[in-house]
Amino acid sequence: MADNTSHTSRRSYIKLAGGAAAAAALAGCTGNGGEESETTETTTGGDETETAETTTEDSGSFDVTITQGQMPSGLDPQDHRETSTDIVVLHAYEGVLTRDAAGSIQTALATNYERIDGENAVRFDLREGVTFHNGDELTPEDVAYSINRVVDEEVGFASPQSDQLAGVSGAEVIEGENAVRVNNASLNPIVFSEFATYLDVMQRSWVEENDKAYISQHMNGTGPFQLDSYTEDEEVVLTAYEDYWREPAAVDTLTFRAASEASTRVNQLLQGETDLVVNVPPQEVQRVTNSDNARVAASPSTRIIYNGMRYDVEPFDSMEFRQAMNYAIDLESIVQNVLEGFGTQTGQPTLPEFVGHNPDLDPYPYDPDQAEQLVEDSGYAGAEIELHTPVGRYLKDLEVAQAVAGYIDELPNVTATVRQRDFGSLVDELLAGSIEARPPWFLIGWGEATFDGGLVMEALLSSDGTLTTWQNEEFDALLEQAGNQSGEEREATLQEANAMAHEQCPWIFLNQQYSVYGVNDAIAWEARSDERIDAYAMSQQ
Amino acid sequence: MSLSRFLIKRSLQGLFVIWGVITVVFGLRFISPGDPANVLLPPDVDPEVRAQVIAELGLNEPLYVQYWEFISGIPFGDLGLSLVTRTPVSARVVARLPATLELAIAATVVAVVIAIPLGVLSATRRHEPADYGATVFSLVGISTPNFWLGVMLILVLAVQLDAFPTSQRPIGLDGIAVLLAGGDVGAAIRGFGTWLWHITLPAITLGTYFTALITRLTRSGMLDQLGQTYVRATRAKGLPETLVRYKHALRNTLIPVITVIGLQLGTLIGGAVITEAVFAWPGLGSLIINSINARDWPVLQGSLIVVAVGFVLVNILVDALYAYVNPQVAYD
Repeated sequence: MADNTSHTSRRSYIKLAGGAAAAAALAGCTGNGGEESETTETTTGGDETETAETTTEDSGSFDVTITQGQMPSGLDPQDHRETSTDIVVLHAYEGVLTRDAAGSIQTALATNYERIDGENAVRFDLREGVTFHNGDELTPEDVAYSINRVVDEEVGFASPQSDQLAGVSGAEVIEGENAVRVNNASLNPIVFSEFATYLDVMQRSWVEENDKAYISQHMNGTGPFQLDSYTEDEEVVLTAYEDYWREPAAVDTLTFRAASEASTRVNQLLQGETDLVVNVPPQEVQRVTNSDNARVAASPSTRIIYNGMRYDVEPFDSMEFRQAMNYAIDLESIVQNVLEGFGTQTGQPTLPEFVGHNPDLDPYPYDPDQAEQLVEDSGYAGAEIELHTPVGRYLKDLEVAQAVAGYIDELPNVTATVRQRDFGSLVDELLAGSIEARPPWFLIGWGEATFDGGLVMEALLSSDGTLTTWQNEEFDALLEQAGNQSGEEREATLQEANAMAHEQCPWIFLNQQYSVYGVNDAIAWEARSDERIDAYAMSQQ
Repeated sequence: MSLSRFLIKRSLQGLFVIWGVITVVFGLRFISPGDPANVLLPPDVDPEVRAQVIAELGLNEPLYVQYWEFISGIPFGDLGLSLVTRTPVSARVVARLPATLELAIAATVVAVVIAIPLGVLSATRRHEPADYGATVFSLVGISTPNFWLGVMLILVLAVQLDAFPTSQRPIGLDGIAVLLAGGDVGAAIRGFGTWLWHITLPAITLGTYFTALITRLTRSGMLDQLGQTYVRATRAKGLPETLVRYKHALRNTLIPVITVIGLQLGTLIGGAVITEAVFAWPGLGSLIINSINARDWPVLQGSLIVVAVGFVLVNILVDALYAYVNPQVAYD
C-alpha cells in the first residue's frame, strides 16, 4: 500500500467526517436509536413453541442466541445509523476491508488495496470466487455500485451513511480487471480507515430488481451467515453459509433478539435462554461472574467520555481553571470505584488504540492542593459551576458526573453541582451549530469507529467542529497540517495536537468506555474494541 | 333511552375524547425536547439533503397543515411512517397489539380468579384469620410496585427455582390460532403450554395490584350486601346460607366489581409499559418505550392513540354492560 502525499484541502472531507455520525457517535451505550421494523417473514409458529434453548446442543448443532438492547431497524446495510443494526447485518454483508478484534485494518472482499500514484484515487483488487447467498458471483460492478449507492444520491437513494465515506466521490470498475477504482475529492488520508469500518457490499442486480421495502426485510450478502427468517420485533435468525469464501462458520444457527432492560438480559443469560448479552451494567457483573454458566467479557471501546468546558464563558475561559478541574478529580478512584474497573483513564482526546495517540501523555494526577492554587491563580475563586449530564446513556454516567462534581465541590474555592438532563434535549443544544447554545460544562461521550484521533479532535475541539467548545488557532493549524499528511508524519502531528489539548485542558479528561458483555461459558469468544459482535469468531469450548 | 341510542351517544362522546387525545399527543411533539431530524441525520449532513428529508417528512409545513395531514389519515388507519424504520406505524402497532391484549386479559383473569373468591372468603369469615390474611395480602398487593415485583418474581421463580422462563413471548395466541387453523392440534396444545408458561409471571406482575384492589372491593361490597334487609329476608325464608351468599349477595356485589374490572382492563392496556420492559414482552408498552428512546414520534403517537381508543371502547362497553346487569340503571 503506497501513500500519496499530494496537497489537498482537508475541509471537504474532514468537515463531514468530523461530524461523521455525530448523532451515532453520541449515541452511547444504551441504545442507538434503533427500533424494530416491519414484519416480513413471520415465524411459522410450527414447532417453535419453546424458548430457543440456546447453545451447544448435544445433538452437535452449535446454535447461538445474542440479545441486544434493541432489534435492528431494518436489514438494508446501507440505510441505517445504528450499532445494533450493524451488529446483525454485518454477519451477512461484508466490506472490501475489515478490522480485526484489536482494530487493525485487514483485507476482506479485497485482496489488495493501494493508492493510485499521482491521483486522488485508490484501487481495490477483489477476491476471486466469492459468491452472494443467492449463488451469484461477486463482481467489481457490485462493489462499485455499492460504493456509489452510499455516496451518490442519484444511485438509489440518499443513504444516511454518505458521510461515513466522506471524501469519496464515486467508484468505477477498472476495465478488464477484477478491481475497482475509488475516486476521492482530495487526498483523503483516512480513506482506507473508512473502508475498513464502513461500506457493506451488496449485489447490484439484486438491489435493482427489488424495492426498498424488500431489501430492508431480506439479506443477500457474501458474509458467513445467511438470513433464515426475520420476525419483526422478535428475532432475526441466520444460518451458516456453507459456500462462504473462508471456512464456514462454526456456529450453525445464529439468533438475534432484544431486551431493553439490562437486568432482563442478564437473567436470560443466567437461565441459559440466551448466550451473549450486551451492556452488562457494573452492578450486575458480580452476578454474572458468580454464576456457574456465564462469564463477563469486556473490551475498551472506541468511545471516550469527557466533560466539555466552554472556553468563551467564565470561569472556563481560564486555562488555569480548566487545568484545576483536571487536578481536582481522582480519576483513578472514579474508574475503580464507580466504574468498577470497566474503564481506562484518559489524559488526551485520542484513545490508545487510535491513530495519533500520544503515549507520552499521562492522565492528570489527583492533586487537590494544586487544583486549589490554580483556581486562585485563575482569579475565579468562589466560582459556582453546574455540570449537565445525561442519565443512563453511558456506563454509570450520572454516578461519574456526581463523582466529578463531588471532587470539585470539595475544593474550598469552587462550588459544583450536577444537573440531570434529558439526552435528547442535551444533544439538541450540543448540536445547535453555535458554541453559545451549548451548556458551559457538560458530560458527553463520543464514539469514533474509524480509530482515527484526527476525526475525534476535528469534531470535538477544532474551531468549527460539530461539538466544539474550544477555539485555538495553533491547534486548528495542527489539524489542518495533519489533513495534508499521511502515515507517520500525520501521526506525529496528531500527537502534537494531543499534547496541546492535554496542556490546555479544553476538557476534564475522563474515561474510555468499556463494552461489557455477558457470555455463556460454552462459547469461546472475545469482546472487540469496535462494539461489533462477530459470531464468525465464535467456537465451542 | 334504548341501548342503541345510548351506544350512539357514548360513541360520539368517545370520538370527542379520542380527538382530544390525538390533539394533545400531536401537541406534545412540539413541546418535547429532541429534534426528529437529529434521529435521522448526522448534524453535518449537507443542508440540501437535510432540507429534502425534512420536506419529505412534512416537518417544514405550517403547524395546521401538519396537524391536518396527521389527523386526516387516522380515520383510514393511516398513522404515518416510522421515522426510524420508514414503515407504516399502523402495521407496527397492530402487530404489537395482540401481545398487550393477551397480557392485559391474562392479568385480569388472574385477578378475577383470585380476588373474587378471596374477597368473598374475607367477608364471610370477617375477623377470622382468613379475613386478616386476605387483608394483609391486599395491602401488600396494593403497595408493591410492579417493576419490583416483576424483578423479584424473575429472580426467585425463574433464576433460582427455574420454574418459569425469565422473559420473552415465543408464541402468542394468534400463532396458536394459526396452528389450529392448520389442523396441527398437537403443536397448538404444546404452543398453548409454552404461552401459558411464559405469560404466568408477567400476568401475575401486572395483575397483583388489580387482584388486591378487587379483593378489597369484593369484601366491602359483600359485607354491605350481607347486611341488607333482603338478605335477612332470604335467610328468614329458610334459604340455605350458600344460596343466600352466592345467588343473592354475591350477584349484587359483582355489579360495581364488573365496572371496576372493565375500567381496569382499559388501564392495563396502557399501563403494561413497565411490565413489558421487565419481561421483554413485545407489546405496545415496549414499543412506546423504544419509540421514546428513538424520538420516533409517529410510532409514539400511533401507540398512544391506539391505547386511547382501547380505553374509550372498554369504557363504553362497561357502561353498556353495567346498565345491562343492573336493571336499576337506565341508559341516560
